Amino acid sequence: MIRGPMSLAYLKEAVENGDQAALIRYVRLHVGDGSPEAGAKEIDKAWVEALKALITMPATDQQFIDDTLKGQDHATLAHLFFRLHFYLVKHSGEWIHDGHV
Amino acid sequence: MTDMSKPSAASSEKQLRPGLWATVNERYPGSMIHKDDVVPLAQLKKPISECRVAFLSTSGVQPKGTLPFDTVHPVGDYSFRRVPSDADVDDLEIHQLKYPTFGADRDLNVIFPIERLRELRDEGVIGELNANHYTFIGYNMDPVELELTLAEQVAEALAHDEVDVALAAPA
Repeated sequence: MIRGPMSLAYLKEAVENGDQAALIRYVRLHVGDGSPEAGAKEIDKAWVEALKALITMPATDQQFIDDTLKGQDHATLAHLFFRLHFYLVKHSGEWIHDGHV
Repeated sequence: MTDMSKPSAASSEKQLRPGLWATVNERYPGSMIHKDDVVPLAQLKKPISECRVAFLSTSGVQPKGTLPFDTVHPVGDYSFRRVPSDADVDDLEIHQLKYPTFGADRDLNVIFPIERLRELRDEGVIGELNANHYTFIGYNMDPVELELTLAEQVAEALAHDEVDVALAAPA
């Protein structure tokens, strides 16, 4: 059996303790490939990319969005959120990751 | 003599994330292998030239058309893919976020030596290749889940295939 304090236990403990700073740092490290500064920029980049896609008010499939939000479970939607983050940063054309999704 | 303690100019140019290692122990606290984790190696029961060999890889290599590995999940992906050992490299692709793939994109064998293994089989160095190799990604933040599901499932598949040698290599 693998022993020792593991990352998942650290995250669960942070959730239990409401340690938002630890969780945010983890997310920034994850999306920033080990750099919290890069991660913060990546999150900003995704939001800017999403804004840019909507700023001219193109038609969007709001029914799909509504059906998805109502029809899917919380974990699936959270998973989708991570997928959308990487989709948006890839769409921005500035890709910092060594590999690809 | 080359000073191996310092990266060469060429390798420095290829390091896309120079600050990567500054936080690696923070990201993976306690996940490094300890000396008391070592499992004794199994002994071969026959010459390797008579063995059936399968390759295990964390490279994220998978047949085109299979569900891509989930490289963005914050806790990891614990699934695996079967890669036919007779697959054409052009029918394979990589889904892996955490390592540079520019070398493997030019020649997949640098990370997934499927053609080299076929050569070893053809030369009689190894007996035969298993029908499938097994791949997954290395970004797995829950080692217990990794051990109890992914590792167990791959081990069961290898046992079912009556594989004699599982050659495992991290990406």
